Formats: sequence, C-alpha cells, structure tokens
Amino acid sequence: MSALGNSTIDGGALAPEAMAQDAGALERTWSTKPGVWGWVCTVDHKVIGRRYVITAFAMFLAGGIEAALMRTQLARPENGFLGADRYNQIFTTHGTTMMFLFAVPMMTAMGLYFVPLMIGARSVAFPRLNAFGYWTYLVGIGLLYVALLTNHAPDTGWFAYVPLSETLYAPGHRVDVWAQLVTFTEIAALCAAVNIIVTVFKMRAPGMSVNRIPLFVWAQLVVAFMIVFAMPAVAAGSTLMLAADRAIHMQWFIPARGGDVLLWQHIFWFFGHPEVYIIFLPALGMVTPIVETFCRRPVVGYGAIVMANIATAFFAFGLWVHHMFATPLPELGDSLFTAASLVIAIPSAVQIFCWIATMWTGRPRLTVPMLFVLGFLFTFINGGITGVMLASVPFDRQAHDTFFVVAHLHYVLLGGGVMPLFAGLYFWFPKFTGRLLRNGLGKWHFWLFLIGVNVTFFPMHILGLDGMPRRIYTYLASTGWGPLNLLSSLGAATIAISVIIFLVNVVLSWRGGAVAGPNPWGASGLEWATASPPPPYNFAYPLIVSSAHPLWDAHAALPVATGLRTDRREVLTTTTFDARPDARHSSPRESIWPFYLALCMGVVFIGSIFRPYWVLIGTALSLAGLFGWGWQSTRPIERERIALPNGALVERT
Amino acid sequence: MTSLRAETSVADLPTVTFGQRSLMWWGTLGFMVIEGWTLALLLVSYLYLRQSVIQWPPAPSQSPALLMPSINLALMALSVVPAVVVARAGGRLDAPAVKRWLVAHSLIGVAILILRWWDFQSLGVRWDANAYGTAVWMIVGFHTSLLLLDVLDTLGLTLFFFVRRQPVKSFSDAADNSFYWYFTVGIWLPVYLIAYVGPRVI
Repeated sequence: MSALGNSTIDGGALAPEAMAQDAGALERTWSTKPGVWGWVCTVDHKVIGRRYVITAFAMFLAGGIEAALMRTQLARPENGFLGADRYNQIFTTHGTTMMFLFAVPMMTAMGLYFVPLMIGARSVAFPRLNAFGYWTYLVGIGLLYVALLTNHAPDTGWFAYVPLSETLYAPGHRVDVWAQLVTFTEIAALCAAVNIIVTVFKMRAPGMSVNRIPLFVWAQLVVAFMIVFAMPAVAAGSTLMLAADRAIHMQWFIPARGGDVLLWQHIFWFFGHPEVYIIFLPALGMVTPIVETFCRRPVVGYGAIVMANIATAFFAFGLWVHHMFATPLPELGDSLFTAASLVIAIPSAVQIFCWIATMWTGRPRLTVPMLFVLGFLFTFINGGITGVMLASVPFDRQAHDTFFVVAHLHYVLLGGGVMPLFAGLYFWFPKFTGRLLRNGLGKWHFWLFLIGVNVTFFPMHILGLDGMPRRIYTYLASTGWGPLNLLSSLGAATIAISVIIFLVNVVLSWRGGAVAGPNPWGASGLEWATASPPPPYNFAYPLIVSSAHPLWDAHAALPVATGLRTDRREVLTTTTFDARPDARHSSPRESIWPFYLALCMGVVFIGSIFRPYWVLIGTALSLAGLFGWGWQSTRPIERERIALPNGALVERT
Repeated sequence: MTSLRAETSVADLPTVTFGQRSLMWWGTLGFMVIEGWTLALLLVSYLYLRQSVIQWPPAPSQSPALLMPSINLALMALSVVPAVVVARAGGRLDAPAVKRWLVAHSLIGVAILILRWWDFQSLGVRWDANAYGTAVWMIVGFHTSLLLLDVLDTLGLTLFFFVRRQPVKSFSDAADNSFYWYFTVGIWLPVYLIAYVGPRVI
C-alpha cells in the first residue's frame, strides 16, 4: 500500500475501497495506545479537549457546591452554618474556581477540541504543548483543593488585594496557594492560546481564506490573542510580585519601603477585565453557528461580527480602571475609563442585532440549544445594562463592594458565559459522543436554570442598592435583608436542581441516547463532515473549502486534497491569509514528557511556597524533561523534501 | 461514508520548511510575545514606582555601576554573529558549519551567563532593600531566566548535532534557535537602558 494514500487525482469520486484502506492505515497511525501509559501519553487534541471539558465542568460543580454553601449560610440572618473563616475560604475558592479553573479552561477546551475540526485539520499545531497545558492545569486544581480540604485555602478574595494578602495581614500559606494556583492556570491558558493561534494561522483547510473562517474559530483566535496580552499581567503580578514579596521579602507592595498597593490593582485588573471577555467572546462564538443552524440561514453580518470581536478585544484592555473607581485616581482618568466602559457595549450590541436579524429573517426552530441562546440574550442584556450603570463613577461609588456588583457580574457570566456554553454543549454533544442529549430533560434543564438564575441574582440588585456589602458571612435581622436573601438561596437551589437534571441527561444519553450520525442538525461547518465522534485523524483527506458554509454549499461530493501520508502522522499547513497548501508537517506521537514536565512545574511552584530551593530542584528535574522532549522531536525520518529559505526544493534521505 | 472527490494532491509539497513556513517559527514567535510583554509590564511597573518618589534610586541606594554591564552588553551584541551564521548555514543544510558555529554560539552564551553575575553585583542594592531594589532585581532576574533557557536550548541543540545523525528538521530548529536568540539579545537593550542607565537620567 502506498504511504501517500491509495487515491489518485482525476477529479473524480474516491473509490470506497481505497478510502477504507486509507482509513484503516490512518487509524493505526493516529490511534493512542491502549492502557494507562497511552492514557497518560496521549497527544490527541480530542482526547485532551474532552478531558479538559470534563475537568472544567467538574470545577463548575465544585464552584457550584461552594456557592450552595454560601447561599445556605446567607439564607437567614445570624446563621451559624459556616463560621467567618470558613466562609472567607469558600468565597475565595468559589471565585477562584469559577474564574480560573472553570470558565477560562472550559472556553479554551472547547477551542482545543473544535478548532481543528472546524478548520479541517488533523490535529493542533503543537499536540505535546496541548497535553502539557492540561496536566499543568490539573496540578493547579490539586493544589487548591488539597488546600481547601486541609483548611489552608486562600481567604483574601479571588483578586487577593494587597495589603490584605501580604504576609503582615495574611500569614501562613493560604495566599501562596492562590498565587501559585494562578501561575498554573496562566501557563495552561498561554499554552492553549499559542496553540490555537498557530493552528488557525497555519492549518486551515485549503481554500479557507480569512473571510471563510467559522465565527467560533474567529472568536477563539481573538481570545487567544487576548490571553497572550492579558495573562502575563496576572502571572507577573501573582508570581513575580505577590509571591516574591511573601517568599523572599521583595517590596513591590510595601509602602514603607517605596512599594505601592495600587500597583497590584492596576496589574490585576489589566488582566482581570479582559478576562471577562476571554470568557464571553468564545461563548458568543458558540451562539453564531447555533443560530445559523436552527434558523436555516447564514448569519447576518459576518464581517460585522468579526469586527465586533476584534473591537471588543481592543476596548477590553482599556477598561480596567473602572474596577478602581473607589481609589484616589485622577478624575480625568476616571472619565476616560467611563467612556471606554460605555463604548464596549456597542460591539456586543452589534453581535446581538446580527443574531436578532438572523432569527427575524430565518425560520427558527426552538430546540434546546436555541432556547439557551434566547435565555442568554435575555439574561446577558440585563447584565450588560447594569454594567453600563456601573460605568458611571457616581453610581459606581455608591454600589461599589455591594451585592449590586455581585448581581451584575453573575448576570454577565451566567448569562453571557454559561448559558451559551450549555447551548454549545447540547449542540456539540453528538460530536463529542456520537449521541444526542434528550430533548425533554434538556427543556427542564433550561427552564429551571433560567428561572433559578433570575431568582438567585435579581434580588441581589435590590440588596446591593439597600447597602448589603459583599463578602460578609452574616448580617443582623434588623437590616431587613433576610427575606430577599432567602429568596436568592431558593433560586440557588433551583439552579442546583437544573444542573443535576443536566448531569442525569448526560449520563443517560451517553449510555443510550439516540445515535447522532455525522451531522444530526444539518449544520454547515466542517466539524459535521466527519464521523461522530471523529476518528483519531479527524479527516482522512483535507477538505477543500470554497465558502463560509461548506456543507450547505457543496452540491455534490465534497472536494478533497490527497497525498498526505498515512503511515506517519502528517498534517497539512497552508498559507496564513489565503490558505493555499504550503507544506506537509510531521506531527508528534504519544509522549510522556508533557506529563513529566507538568509534574516538574508542580515541584517548582508548589515547592516555592515552602522553600525557595525547590525552584532549583524542580528546574533541574525539568531539564531531563526538556532534553527528552527535544530528543523525541529530532528523531530522524527516512526521506524529506526540504524547502530551503532561498526558494529551492531539495530531497534528502 | 461521505462522498468525496479528489481535486488536488499535496504529495509534492515540502516536509521541512524554514522561517514563517514552519510551525515552530510561529510557536517561537508566540512565546517571544508573551515573554516580551511580561518584561514590558515589569519595566512599566518599575517606572510606576519611580514616579511616586522624589529621589531615584531612593537613598541610600546608588545608581548601578556601568562597566561590567556595558562589557556584557557588547558581548551580547557580538553573540548575534554566530547566531546569524548558524541560521544561514542551517538554511544551506551545511552540517559542518552549523556544528562549528553552534559551538561558538554556546561558548559565548555561557560567557554571557557567567558575566551576568557581575550584572547583578553592579546593581549595588539588594532585592529586599526597597521597592527600587525589588524592581531592578526582578527585571534583570526575569531576563536572566530567559537567557538561561536559551543557552540551555543552544547547548542541547549542539549536543544533538554531535551525538546523532541529525535529521533535516534540526537545521530548521537551529535557525529558530537563532531567531529566539535575537529576541533575547534585543530585549536586553531596554533592560540595560532602564535598569542601568535609567537611574542617572530619570
């Protein structure tokens, strides 16, 4: 059998026998080895992506349990369910989990799973880096949750403001756990971002020029750039500044020695505000294909949505000071940041109007994914409007640090992040598993979730305007806040029930749901051109694209390129803008080194909490891993065709 | 199985490419941006701390000594020469030249790392003395970690070229290693200007 595949180029249909032979060879080449070793060493982006999604969802459940504990505590005045110290640990762990361990990893996980499928690639650009990112993330989770279970969880809030989080006010290692956890998640996010950028730039299907890139992929690309510029800020702040202040007596934030506490807020929010859009933009990216599919028409305003994504990313870096309106900053600066905070509503509105226009001019089908999209529009717009209110300095100074802000941020994150995510999970579950989620349970899930979110968080607006501060573990009955807090807690219970229904649906459907087939919804994207779940090599042949909706616009057989090898892992790279076929690159096999190096990172960062010399030990251990990684990369291959920098093409054995 | 139609073949495309046509080049660029941006944030933080005090460096700290850092700066500028030669020889698949100049590159890299000790000494302040000391130590220290990584990468690559028959892809890797070296040297310039020359002028 030819290593370059069995098919010949005649412009005609590929023979089923040749396709079956190629598929068999590719299956052998791309499959992960069975057993524990294969499980640890896999570099298949779908296995890692699915693992990431399941882990991140487990973190959503953990954060949800913490939320339920807090709502139980606050359900009535002067409750003794949780003490002050335990409450501090739980609200900090809840925020940290939801922002760092659920929301961002979940959104990047969806990208790592679906971006290659949507652009017709066999893998991501750097499969081992992908595995390394996942394991690093998992080490971070272990750190936080071991700390929580041993009463050492961080307790200074998810943004760990100094001086509260400095050694003087927070002795022990609780804040160190937070600072190093952040480091792990930042490393994981940055690895994912570089992977997504290079995959989208260089591995799109032939013909997928920039104006044909699926809008989910556009959103992932824009967000990957945001991660590249936002995450270094918090990595610098938490590891190189806060942890260094605490471990080796640096003086970044110690005013008596020339340090500055507001520097922390600037650094943190320079990351923290874009973080919201890092969660939100991929979620919006999920909405577009769902609206298109269930309205049976291409989205209105493709170009406008792309520009809206890019504009949001730019503005997102110019808003951070609106988190600091209660600090003594110059009035002129405040005004500038107010203006920017108002302006960013415009690109979000552009996207919303594009979807409304699509629904208006299409034939909407109210499937469960569509219901979640409608729930998102309703809930997110409410959160957006309170965001515009908070952009105003006089209002912000009244509402700052009250439950009004808690209400706002949960409307934005649950409405703008979690609802589209659920829509996406219902939409793409068949691609993950080969089976459809049940419709009836899905509708129960949707309605209870929508009602639960609004009953939980709407009363918090009123509580906040009435002066109830955030982060108090109890309150006096005489405040009159009891009834609305009880209502809010009942809403939280409703959310919990809805999520349990979702889990039951997942378990039942995964085991015995209706078999989906490659394209159960009749959608237009390339991910629906392959089997559900996709084979390890994704596509036997690179598909050739000539429109933004290839499966809708293909009138006969799908055009493909042949000639990629079947006996070694090989991916096609294309030019950055026009996606013309450019080269065949080898793709790595399974490797233990990503797992090993993630453990070394654990030694470095967790060890540094206790003794600085662990940094040296961990670094020394990681040298072996780097060497092994490099050695594996440079394994000789029998025959290569080389494009030299001077343009010549030569062959070498 | 979906019905497919073969429209073109990619069998004749190259399997090894250099520069922008290589995935590794783009990955390297991605990490350069991340690391460069982190350094930029540290430099901005240094300037932020500077604006809140009258005297810089704050007493009793003195401005850093310039002699040894300037010598090291010159050595770093010189180190670009073997890096460029390695990249060019890699592009010609000229293994003897790549090996020779990788050795030169490694040696000069190790020399720069050794001289970095005096760069720290020249700061004349401890990291825990005050916020100024903290900022300069962190900036120089962060750059040193990138430098260390790059020197180790160069040493590893050199070793691979000597101990095994080098696959063709290694020539592209050698060119990418030089690409990263230009970055490591390039970002030292703002560090040198701000951390060493800066206290005399700002």
